[in-house]
Amino acid sequence: MSTISTSYSLRRRMLVRSALLLLVVFVLLSIGAWHYAKQAANYSYDRLLRSASLSMLEGVHVTGANVDIDIPYASFEMMQLSSEDKVFYRVQGPQGNFITGYENFPLPNQSLGKERTLFYDANYLSEHIRVVMQRKWLSEPEVSGWVSVYLGQTLNARDQMRNDILVRSLATLLGIMLLVLFVLWWSINRALEPLSTISKSLFTQTSFSETPLDKTSIQEVAPLVDAINEYQTRLASNLDGMKTFIADASHQIRTVQSATQAQLDIASQSQDLSQLPAHLGRIREEHLRLTRLTNQLLSHAMVVHRGDTRIVEDVNMESLVKQLLTECVRDYAHTEIEFSYHCDGRIGSVQGDWIALKEAFRNLLENSLVYGPAKNQIDVSLTQEAGHVNVIIDDQGPGIPQAQREQAVQRFKRLTTRKEGSGLGLAIVSSVVESHEGRFFLEDSPLGGLRARVQLRVGES
Amino acid sequence: MRYYFIGLWIVFSSALFAAPKSNSNALDIYSATDLRAIKPLLDDYRARHPDVQVNYHEFNTLQLYQTIKKLPLDQQPDVVISSSMDLQVRLVNDGYAQPIKDSALEALPDWAKWRNEAVGFTYEPIVFVYNKQAFKGKTIPRTHESLALSMRSNDAFYTHKVGSYDVRRSALGYLIATQDEVASSISGRLQESLGRTITQVYCCTSQILDDIASNKLVLGYNMLGSYSLARAKHDPRIGVVIPEDYTLVVSRVAYISKAAKHVENARSFVHYLISKHGQQVMADKSELIALYPSLDPLTDRLLSTKQTINFHPIPLGPALMVYLDQSKKKRFIRSWENALSPSKQ
Repeated sequence: MSTISTSYSLRRRMLVRSALLLLVVFVLLSIGAWHYAKQAANYSYDRLLRSASLSMLEGVHVTGANVDIDIPYASFEMMQLSSEDKVFYRVQGPQGNFITGYENFPLPNQSLGKERTLFYDANYLSEHIRVVMQRKWLSEPEVSGWVSVYLGQTLNARDQMRNDILVRSLATLLGIMLLVLFVLWWSINRALEPLSTISKSLFTQTSFSETPLDKTSIQEVAPLVDAINEYQTRLASNLDGMKTFIADASHQIRTVQSATQAQLDIASQSQDLSQLPAHLGRIREEHLRLTRLTNQLLSHAMVVHRGDTRIVEDVNMESLVKQLLTECVRDYAHTEIEFSYHCDGRIGSVQGDWIALKEAFRNLLENSLVYGPAKNQIDVSLTQEAGHVNVIIDDQGPGIPQAQREQAVQRFKRLTTRKEGSGLGLAIVSSVVESHEGRFFLEDSPLGGLRARVQLRVGES
Repeated sequence: MRYYFIGLWIVFSSALFAAPKSNSNALDIYSATDLRAIKPLLDDYRARHPDVQVNYHEFNTLQLYQTIKKLPLDQQPDVVISSSMDLQVRLVNDGYAQPIKDSALEALPDWAKWRNEAVGFTYEPIVFVYNKQAFKGKTIPRTHESLALSMRSNDAFYTHKVGSYDVRRSALGYLIATQDEVASSISGRLQESLGRTITQVYCCTSQILDDIASNKLVLGYNMLGSYSLARAKHDPRIGVVIPEDYTLVVSRVAYISKAAKHVENARSFVHYLISKHGQQVMADKSELIALYPSLDPLTDRLLSTKQTINFHPIPLGPALMVYLDQSKKKRFIRSWENALSPSKQ
């Protein structure tokens, strides 16, 4: 696990990110508001312009061939509703002839079809203006054609209305954003509160205690509390196992020691010299037990330590098993125990710790040797299938009853029926296999005894 | 005719000395206001700004408009003042003015300003002026309605003896006549009465006042209140009636030329006109009537004693341009001529 890169405040990060998000939303909405404001202002004042131009058109009348206009006062009073704007206009007869108004008034660029109304923007007398062209068809006996009114207005009122709408909507938006930000701040604080409550209650547990954390009614926090509680339970059971193991181990060491002590006492007080070799033999036996026990304890400690530090190298299983067997055969050459070795084809190498693996298989072999009969047959075979290497050790020993096998494999568990065992042999195997992410099975052997099978992955671990 | 020459002379003389001089600290004012009426204000302004050389050029309303329209941009005066509100609005609309950035504008009523470019600074009611001697023992008409009735029933008394503006020659007369039509439904009937009594038409207020004082006329219709009230103060032969049904109020309008050469001076002068101090001087010393009623003892008196008067200030705005429309103007003048002076054509 890598070290924590830089610490940061979840609260601040959440707040800053939400604030940034809100800012983006605010900017987008502002652009929308600007468009809307512009549209609304144009819409309102275009209508005003159009009403005024229609009212002007009302004043058009024809006498003979002469088209004239009597501009209604009301039309300009209407224009005066946008009180700060200048007004320009032009009235044009059927032949495009100027009737009244501003003679050089800007006309639309596009050619006209059948439309009666046309809005356009223009520049006139160094002012930007909005113009409406409104016209009607005259069909009098002497004149026929379009008579058009062009009415233009500067943009002050529009701009002011647009700005008004914009300022108001932006103020509202800003208010909403600030409110949202406040609500966010409040709810983030609220949401993070259980976290600090849990850490507080963990801090207040002075030493390791098995009292679980209080159940919480917050659904999102419940899994965390459950996980902490479960972890605590597992830790507690491991600790229990460890306590039992330490108690057992010290009990056994003391037993062996006091037995040795007793044998020594008996031997030293014995007058009968002929009894001495028998006493010495018993003392030696007790001492062997003590040595084995000590070795296993140290080996277990080493295996656990190596498992924790995770040493990884290419381990050639064939040469490992062969080396181990060679050592065993040499040690047990004077006994009636027979060894055999099978290997199916080429066996891939395993990523792992040579020393730990060797220790594990040594323990398996020693188990077979120690618990098996004096005339024993031990078969070691290596097989490979589907990316896995199987190391199988069969013996003719008494085996382990089906019901106790699972218990036997667990760490720190010892089968009570086996008083002479330390309970560490299988625990060491189990530890090593676990740290290599392999699997460990106890099965019935075709030789009549126990079959121990270790399955390891080939290639990278 | 006399005014035509004066106008020419002024254009000529201004071209003669205003242009080449181009005094950096001058203030050129083109104004359609009697020098006599505005002199106290000019004097006071000069006293307060001794370093500014104020050049005042007087025109009548129509001449002023035509002069401004004709002058090239680089010869435009700094400030233009006229009581002809419609022509002033038209000049502003056509881009001759520049915005006046002055917080004093905020105190002005809405009708007295437009676009912060045109600023009204006087309050001049449109009144009836009568000869006191002629009306001795007679009821003085105090409303447009009663004037119409009185003229109808006393043909002999009024015939040839009523004076008013010639709307063709006086732009102010035209503004008042057209606004009369806008403001009231009685104007048509009144025009008819004025026509029947063969109303005399004049170009200028002072001439009508002269003729009323000398009893050549008994009544002046739609007279400019400022000049009339000022004359009545000194001349006991003249009486002034502020019509009670409605009284149009004209405001003298000033604007600063877009091409003003002395913008700072122009601003300071316009500010002076609408400032408390300028208005007070106007109320106390000049023939003009201050815009703020509380300052002017005359308007103050008028407003407080005759509560029934319905003052109707003419609002500045583009609507004033309707009657300046070529077709509209032709039509109005034709009907005015038909009603008032069928003989003259």
